[in-house]
Formats: sequence, structure tokens, C-alpha cells
Amino acid sequence: MARQSRRNFLKAAGAASVGVGLAGPFSFRTLAATDPGKAYDYTSWEQFHRDQWSWDRKTRGAHLVNCTGACPHFVYSKNGVILREEQSKDAPMLNGVPEQNPRGCNKGECGTDYVYSPTRLKYPLIRVGERGEGKWRRASWDEALGIIADKIVDTLRTEGPDTISVYSPVPAVAPVSFSAGHRFAHLIGAHAHTFFDWYGDQPPGQTQTCGVQGETCESADWYNARYIVLWGANPAQTRIPDAHYISEAQLNGTKIVSIAPDYNSSTIKADSWLHPKPGTDVALGLGFAHVIIKENLFDAHNLKEQTDMPLLVRGDNKLFLRESDLVEGGSKNRFYAWDLKTGRPVLMRGSWGDEPGVKPAVQPPFLARNTLTFADGTLDLGNLDPALEGRYRVKLLDGTMVECRPVFELYRERIMAEYTPEKVAAVTGVNAGLIAQTARDYAKARPAMIITGGGTGHWFYSDILMRVFHFLSSLTANEGKQGGGVNHYIGQWKPVFVPGVAALSFPQGAGKQRFCQTTIWSYVHSEAYDGMDKVGIDTGKYLRHALDSKQFPLYPRNGRDPKIFIVYRGNFLNQAKGQKYMLRNLWPKLDLIVTANIRMDSQALYSDIVLPSAHWYEKLDLNVTEEHTFINMTEPAVPPMFESKTDWQIFRALAKKVEEAAVAKGYPRFYDDQFKWNRDLSTLSAQFTDNGKFDNEEAAAQFILDTAPQSKGITLAELREKPRRYKSNWTSPMKEGVPYTPFQFFAVNKRPWPTLTGRQQFYIDHPVFFEMGVELPVYKAPIDADKYPLRFNTPHSRHSVHSTFKDNPLMLRLQRGGPIVEVPPVEAEARGLKDNDWAEIFNDHGRVIVRIRIKPGEQPGRISMYHTPELYMDLIEGSTQSVCPIRITPTHLVGNYGHLLFRPNYYGPGGSQRDTRVEMRKYTGAVPTPL
Amino acid sequence: MTSSTRHRQMAFVIDLNKCIGCQGCTIACKRLWTTAPGLEAAYWMNVETVPGRGYPRDWAGRGGGFDKGRPKPGREPTPEEYGIPFEFDYSARLFSGKRDRGRPRAAADWAPNWEEDQGAGAYPNTYFFYLPRMCNHCDRPACAEACEAGAIRKRPEDGLVLLDPDRCDGSRACVAACPYAKTFFDAAKAKAHKCHGCFPRLEAGLAPACVAQCTGRAMHVGFLDDGAASVHKLVRQWGVALPLMDGFGTGPNVFYIPPFIGPAVEGPDGTAGAAARIPDNYLASLFGPDVRTALRVLRAERRKRGRGEPSELMDLLIGRDARALLGHLQPHPSR
Ligand code: SF4
Ligand code: SF4
Ligand code: SF4
Repeated sequence: MARQSRRNFLKAAGAASVGVGLAGPFSFRTLAATDPGKAYDYTSWEQFHRDQWSWDRKTRGAHLVNCTGACPHFVYSKNGVILREEQSKDAPMLNGVPEQNPRGCNKGECGTDYVYSPTRLKYPLIRVGERGEGKWRRASWDEALGIIADKIVDTLRTEGPDTISVYSPVPAVAPVSFSAGHRFAHLIGAHAHTFFDWYGDQPPGQTQTCGVQGETCESADWYNARYIVLWGANPAQTRIPDAHYISEAQLNGTKIVSIAPDYNSSTIKADSWLHPKPGTDVALGLGFAHVIIKENLFDAHNLKEQTDMPLLVRGDNKLFLRESDLVEGGSKNRFYAWDLKTGRPVLMRGSWGDEPGVKPAVQPPFLARNTLTFADGTLDLGNLDPALEGRYRVKLLDGTMVECRPVFELYRERIMAEYTPEKVAAVTGVNAGLIAQTARDYAKARPAMIITGGGTGHWFYSDILMRVFHFLSSLTANEGKQGGGVNHYIGQWKPVFVPGVAALSFPQGAGKQRFCQTTIWSYVHSEAYDGMDKVGIDTGKYLRHALDSKQFPLYPRNGRDPKIFIVYRGNFLNQAKGQKYMLRNLWPKLDLIVTANIRMDSQALYSDIVLPSAHWYEKLDLNVTEEHTFINMTEPAVPPMFESKTDWQIFRALAKKVEEAAVAKGYPRFYDDQFKWNRDLSTLSAQFTDNGKFDNEEAAAQFILDTAPQSKGITLAELREKPRRYKSNWTSPMKEGVPYTPFQFFAVNKRPWPTLTGRQQFYIDHPVFFEMGVELPVYKAPIDADKYPLRFNTPHSRHSVHSTFKDNPLMLRLQRGGPIVEVPPVEAEARGLKDNDWAEIFNDHGRVIVRIRIKPGEQPGRISMYHTPELYMDLIEGSTQSVCPIRITPTHLVGNYGHLLFRPNYYGPGGSQRDTRVEMRKYTGAVPTPL
Repeated sequence: MTSSTRHRQMAFVIDLNKCIGCQGCTIACKRLWTTAPGLEAAYWMNVETVPGRGYPRDWAGRGGGFDKGRPKPGREPTPEEYGIPFEFDYSARLFSGKRDRGRPRAAADWAPNWEEDQGAGAYPNTYFFYLPRMCNHCDRPACAEACEAGAIRKRPEDGLVLLDPDRCDGSRACVAACPYAKTFFDAAKAKAHKCHGCFPRLEAGLAPACVAQCTGRAMHVGFLDDGAASVHKLVRQWGVALPLMDGFGTGPNVFYIPPFIGPAVEGPDGTAGAAARIPDNYLASLFGPDVRTALRVLRAERRKRGRGEPSELMDLLIGRDARALLGHLQPHPSR
């Protein structure tokens, strides 16, 4: 037996490519040990490793950070110590696509680190030094909450509730935690903040076109595409758990095109790469449209049925031809097309002026209006044949004749004249032949999908580009198709069960909650300079108009200053564009800054009182995302460590303290004018828990599930067993085993889109759009208000989730120990910079001093610094946001046009940041010596 | 294990077309096995950007392995070549008002993933890809060959090459001998250590952590002689999974699907040419001359899928069901 094994071993060895002679010089000590005939003497070491991989408790875990992964995990602990986590690998299987398991990433697999991190907040802290200095004294909860409560009551009394604000982003990752502080804010009258828009992730162009807050397919649907355009998206780096669907689609024969200035981690696997100059993508998209129209590769029927392309526009004033133009008492919100069959203008059904047969019971916050109760087939053309081309004379009410033309003809005229592949090549730097070929391939593939992300979303004119994406998708009838459409992934923004979150956060209804649009709040109160005067755009003019005409809110009202800022589970200051202005102008206005977090992030560091909250593995919460359609949960593996509390406990305790302070100070109730609400602080605690109903997270989580139709019927007990898919969703049905594709209620069921015209709307006849020259989506050069030579790109890193994990030593050891900026070789050489040198990057807004990494794949003329390192990390000065101003796009301030209206996180300016330009030079000052 | 156990070989296949360089495997491995103080610099599994110097720096040029069947002398990597692990004193800055920022305590001039995303070539014709590297559980383990103390053995039931620290005499011979630099030395304990294939997980019927946690779904594991295992089909039947630097003579059992997808070289006028961006010669220097055939087969099979025809090979690589990547093993513990 032993001999035979030995022979086998040598035979196997000989079979390998290196020739091994039997008589060779090998001793192969291993052979002795490999010999099964010879018992191996087991020693303790193997048991040691078995013990390393053992546990006495396994709990559900999720990463309650601003990450779209929402990856289900198990957390393994032993003797009350959390050891590690591993994907639970029980995400539901879907039909015809590879499975989603194991969803996870490098950060997620060391999420435990923050439990025991030196940055972990253990006790309430009260600042004793300057803000940001890091000098504290330890306080009891009683003392810390007491100080906050006193200040809140005093401020309510003397300054009014609208000087207090509470900020916490991303409900989807932790809806119970999110609701805690918002419920508190709601009950005392403080204002809440938007965040999806402020991060620049809300896609205003999609709202303009589709009348929705945002919609995307779940990543599993990528596999169904036959052609994928990764347009400003780098899923291999920023959508790590989803990226396998790209590779798998590719192995399945799907063609992948990457459109990105740099040769990035996703581009390396694409079949073709187009690298336009940064910010010229609209021209490129319209170059595609040019070819698709010219070669007649578009679906005219789809344009007629689903879009505003057939709607008539008056030649005299460029406005849509409205019913009120032709009919006495006619609606301003009903629109005409020219019916070729009857030779007459006909009103197209489903517009804002039409009412559905069944009045909707609810107005969901993610749709401009609820058009879902319109009958299926409302958009069906029936016997109509609306014209896409031609000039038609129409007699107005007052008898004058005007010439009208369909939107398509107006748009086509410009596309054919201005966006030939050659002209586009000159603007973008992409070869004209490649433009034409890509356009053809995209148009001919069925289905074809555009996947986009922050690379296109964070620009001043990002909305135009999103409109063009939808135009391309509509031209080719890809909207609502499995494996088709336009899918944007930026921001962890979609709590599908939002009605449940809203009900828990705002018990008296969101209508009775003060919301502030955070970009405007930040811009105004930090007195940020945006440099837009240099390009002739007067932000102030548009902003004043939007505020004066109440299209957008600003708190505190009447030019007063904010006084108390409470931030929890969010790194406001660190992420803030215009960071310099925040610190210089906004911070001093604030009497009290309170931050609750698991760790001392930059926001906490620059606060007055810091409260320790429970880590994600120490509390119960739900966890969802737009990347998939199942609900995930986390639960305590151990009780909150040190003196930390869950967010729910923190705000419940704070409510109690405010109640006590209000009574003690003789200010038990006050009348809130704005909402005609007699607020009773003396019963605040009971209001917070709804008389004990919401004493703990468990009850709150189940309430969310029960209250939202999308999750009604799902129990926490079921989620403990395994993640469960939603029962319904926003703009398409949820079908058993079928990956979610948005917009099917409109594109397939033919119910009206929730826009002014009831159709996908590309023409926006609003004065601000006319003034900016963007009533149609046409190319506008990036904003070059910073008169510096290099575009400053701030992408997301694979080693962090925004600022979370930025400081994690395990992650930093797999980088360069600190933040870096990626520099193309030519730009480095031109400035005498070598790899790993310190460089000073600056513009009119500030400066950051950071080490460089030479990146041969970066486009000359641009440098990329992974966004938002913590302010205490290894930079000599500043951070990414030091040089990024807040720039408000005027069209994002329109709140008085059908589907363009302010609703929190639904529509509003993001502040953009990728138009930023800088100069870079070798840093010659003192370099910190390694410790 | 009983004396009747056959000699079997557990093998790994890593699909470089699916690997996104996320370092999930690196972390999964590190957090499970090498968290003890003194092991910070050791990565049983690491992912490096190639072309590049790798981890440890210039590992491929240190010798070790065999030359015409004779053990070839090798050099132990220096601590600098591994990268001195960065340590940070955040507490001082955040909680005691120290002025300076939290900076790495060692000079930051090298680290295991220092050259991430850099690669080679000039814009726009740059190229790079990710190369995950672990112990190859070699047929002829140079590490074991070098160990006088007999602390390293290749066990028969699955061919894993295991290092017994109780027998290790701290000579470091194995560290110098492994041409892949996948044996490590723990100076604190004066013992060598290395990847053990997650044998405690294997005993529970579970895939190793790097494989089970690979979110790119890029890793396969299984017995090479198991006709049903994807590793068998990819290595033995299709011949598209190739060992890394086979010339070291150790007979590696980690195989790679070479990167066969990627944008073509671009002409000066910005048109796409026909040539692959990653030079075939470069791939051959990693995966041997057979890589050309492998690339041809892979491309042809993918084209079939593009035409809507079936391809067993592409199905294997897609691995719709996670278990299809794992041979006889399971993705998660039932406990
Ligand atoms: S950090 Fe995000 S992507 Fe990573 S495992 Fe957690 S949820 Fe998934
Ligand atoms: S986990 Fe998988 S995809 Fe990520 S680096 Fe490792 S092998 Fe590649
Ligand atoms: S890769 Fe190195 S450590 Fe692993 S078995 Fe081969 S020679 Fe030994």
C-alpha cells in the first residue's frame, strides 16, 4: 500500500510539466509524511486552528454604513467577544441568473474591527478644548443628555424650533436607527435634513424625465442584458458585491462597453473602452443619438406612446400647446399631439391635468404624483397616429394662428445639426467611427442597458446627461425591459418600504415635519463662495427666487442663524462640500453641536458633545438597498459595548430628559405656528414610545415592516431565518423569482408616467430651463469657474464606504497607509513629482496636501483623489472637500412645475463637485516624520 | 483519516476575468487565521496588481523551488519587502488633543498592495489585472523539501501542505525555499506558518474562507480527480486553468483562468485595433506557453454564447449556483 502510494505520487509528479526522474536528487521529505501507511503524530497545533474557527453564538449581522451592499452576514462570537463575520449566503435565488451569494466585500469582512477600534466611542464626552482639538472630559449619560436637553428647551423658547436641526442620512441601511432621531425632531419641531440630494446622488435628470425620486433595477437584472454600457460607473470598485453580474453577463456573451476617462478596474474587463474628456458625456450621448436617428435604428412607436416627443410646441413662445390655449376653461396641464389620421390636434391622455378613474389613497413620496391608479393602457395610442415631424398650424382661443412642431422635430433638428460624430469627436476626443459603431451596437442589441454612477452624477450638468441616457433608452425602447433601461447606482437611497419608515419617523405625518434642503442650508449658512460669477451664472438670483417664491424651504426662517445641530450616524462635516466655509462660517453660528456615532469621526471630533452609539452588531435593525430586493437584518451579537446605547435608546433617553427640563424650566408646552400644533413637551417621552409601544428596536422594526405595503406580512422571526424579498415595489410589480426592473407600470402597463405630460418628458418649458438653454437636453461644457489646469475627480474607493473604513488599519495596509491622489505620469513629470511624493493641490477654495500615486491609466489633464478621508488622517493639510465648493444648478431649484417640486430627497440641488479644477505642485514644506 | 485514504489533491481555480481585486479573500483569510500580534505583515492570501512587483516585493525573483529537479537556493524576503505594517495612533489625536494627525508609524514606502491599479503601458494603452495568490499546495512542495525538522507534510487525503509549528525548529529554511513566498516566519514565536487550506472548515465540509467569501464568485475549489468538480473540468478537461510560474518546478495546485477579456489596443487615431491589450508574451511569462491555447478556447467559447449557443465552459465559469464552484464542499456552515 505504502509503495503504491509512493509510486502514485511520483507518477503524478512526473505528469506535471517539469521532468522529474525517479533517480533524481529529490529526497522529498514530504513523502514520508505523505505516506498513509505511516501514522502521523497529531499534535496540538491542529486543534489550535480548529479553535480559531469556533464560536458559541451566531447572529445575523449587517453593515449599517452608507453602503449599497446590504449584504446578509452572520456574526460569530465566543464568550461574549465578537470574533468575525461571514456572509450568510442565503440571499434568495432568482430565476435564470447566477445567485447573489456570497454578497460581501473587503470592508464587510472586517466590520468587527470597529467594535474594538481605538476610534470607538465608549462614553459620552464633553469638549474641553477647541472644536476639533480632540480634548474631552468623560461625562455620564445623565450629565451629557441633561446639558443637551437644557439647551434644547432654552433654544425652543428663545430662538424657536426651526433653529434646531437633526441630521442623519440613509434610512435604507438602518431604518430604525434613522427613525429614532427623526422621531425626536418631529416631536419637538426641529427640522430634518435631506441627504440624498446633498450627497449629489439624487438624479435630478431622472426626476425631470420620469417624475420619480429615482429608480433602478436590482443588480441581478444586469445579467439579463445583452449589451451593457458602463457609463461613468466602476462597479468592480464601487459595487463590489454586485460586480460579478457584469463578469457573468460577459461570460454569457453580453458585450460590455466602458465609458470612462480612466482605465479603471471595470474598464479592464470591458470589450470596448471610450474615454471622453471628463464632462463631455452629453455630447457623446447625443452623438450616439445622431447615429441612431440618422440610420433609423429607433423605435418611433415607443416615442409616440411613451414620451413627449409627439407633443406640440408653439413656435411663438416655445411653450407646449396646452388645452388652455385652445379651449375656454381648458387645463394648463393637458397637452396636444398632431394626429396624422384625422389631421387635428388631439389631447394626449394621462397628463397632470387628467384624473385617474380611481382616486389614489396615498401619495407615495417617490412619485411626483400617484399615477398608478390610472387604467392599464391609458398611454395606448389606440387609433391615433401622433406626428413626430412636421409643422402644424393651430388656431388659438383668441383667433391667432400659431405654428407648432412636435418635440421630436425640435430635438432632432439640433441633434442632426450639432452632434455629428465628427463634431462630437472634436468635443470629446473619442474617435468618430467608434462613436458610430458604439451607437449601432447599442441600438441593435436587445436588451441594452446603461449603468451609471457617481462618475456622471456628481457634475453641475449631471441632469442633462441623465436625460440623454433616458432618451437613448427610449429611442431604443429599452425602458422597462428586463436587462434594459438606465440604471444609476450612486447613493444608498432606496428604502422600498419607505411608508413604514416615514410613519415611524414622523408620527403626525411628514406634512407636519420641517424639512430643510441640506444643500441650500449649507450654502446659505456657511456663506459659501462658489465662483460661479466667473462663468456668468448668478446662483444668488436663482436661489433667492426659489426661496422667496417658496419653491424650496430654508430654516431657520427669516434670515436667522441655526443654533443646535444634532448629527447621528453621519459624518456631515467630513463629507461636506465647501468644507472650509462650513468650519469658518457655519460652525461659529452653532451654539451646540452634538454627534452620536460608534466612532470618533471628523464630525464628532468637531462637536461639543459626543455620544457613543452601539455598533451594528450590538443592536437590532433592518437593512435594505436598491441593489437587491430582499430585506436583511442585524441583531445584537453582544449587548452595546462600554457605555454605548442604540440610537433608539439615545433619543428615547433624550426625549425623557427634554421632558424633565421643560417641566423644570416651566416651559412644558408651546404653540407651533407653522403647523398649528400645540406641542406638549411634558409628555414627550410617552409620545416618543407611543406610550410604551416602541420601547425597543424590535417593536419599531416590526412596525416598519407592518406599516409598509411593500413588506406587510414579513416578520422579524422570518428575517432571522433568512432574508425575504419585498412583496411589492415602486414602479414595477415584484414577481416571484424575477429580478426587479423598474418602470414597468408605465412602459409595460402603459399607465401614465408621473410627469407633467404623463409621459417621459424631455422638453421642459420652464423659464429657468429656457434661461439656462436646457429646455431640451443639449451639451453644456463643464463649469470651469476654477481657473486652474487640472480637473479634480473624487471617486469612491474600494477600501472604504465613504469615510467609514477609511481609517481601518487593515484597509490602510492594503493601500499606502493614507490617502492618495492618482496622477497621470505626464502631469507628475511636468511638475517634477515622483510616485509617493507629497503634492499640494489647491484652488480658490482651499488646499489639500496629499501623497501621489502615479497612475498610467489616468487621463492626462485630470487627477483623482478618493473622496473624503477623515480630517485626522495622514494628509499634511485639508482633505478632498477642501477644494470642492458647493455649486447649485439653477434648474435643480425649480419647484413649481408639475413633477418638479420640493419633497425631501425627491428633487433638489446636490451641489455637484466634479467640475472642480485645481493646480498641483510639489510640496516643499516640512514633511511629518513617521512616528 | 485512515490508512486506506487515497492520495488525492485539492485544487483551486481562480478566474482572473471575474476577480475584481476587491481584497475580500485577503481579508477573509487574514481575519480568520493571522490576527495574532506579530503576524500583521503576513498574508496567506494576497491580491496584487500585475504587471507589478507584488507581495512580497519582487517575490518571483528570489529563487527557491527546483531547478532541473534540484532544490534551488532561495532568499528569505526582508521585512521591507513584505511591507512594514502601518500602525496608527488615533487615540492621541482624537481623544488626547495631540496636534498631529494619525499617521502610519512606519515610513510609508512599500506595502503588500502598493502598486494597486498601476500596471504597465502608456495611456491609453495601459493594462493591468489582479492576481490573487495563496499557497499552491504543490505536488513537490519546496517548503517541505527544505525543512530539516520535518515539520511540513503533504497530507494524503487532500494534498494540502501543512506546517506543524510544534515540530518547526525556526530555521526559516522553508521561507527561503518557497518560490512563491507563501511560507512565513513569525519572529515573535520563532515559528514558520502558512496557509493550511482552512482544514478545520474542510473537516466540516465547508469551502475555505477565501473561496467561500469571494464575492466576485471567481474562485473554485475541489478535488482534481473528482470528475464532477469544476476544478477538474477546468484544469483537466478544458485545459484553460493554468498554474502560475510552473517553471519553479513545485507543481502548483492553484490554477488560473487567464484574463481573456478586455479592450483591444487602441490605434493612434483612437480606433480599436485587433490586438489584445495584455501582451500574450506577458501572460505566457506567468502561465506558460499553454496560455495561448487557453485564451483561444476561452474566446471561442464566449463567442458561442454571444451567438446564443450553449457552452459548458462558460457555464462552468459563470457558476450559476454557488455550490457549482465548490466541488464536494458547501458554501456555509449549518451550525
Ligand atoms: S460593507 Fe457593504 S458591500 Fe461590504 S459586505 Fe458590508 S454591505 Fe456588503
Ligand atoms: S475575493 Fe474574489 S474577487 Fe475579490 S480579490 Fe479575492 S479572488 Fe478576487
Ligand atoms: S506554494 Fe510554497 S509554501 Fe505552498 S506548498 Fe508550494 S512551496 Fe510550499
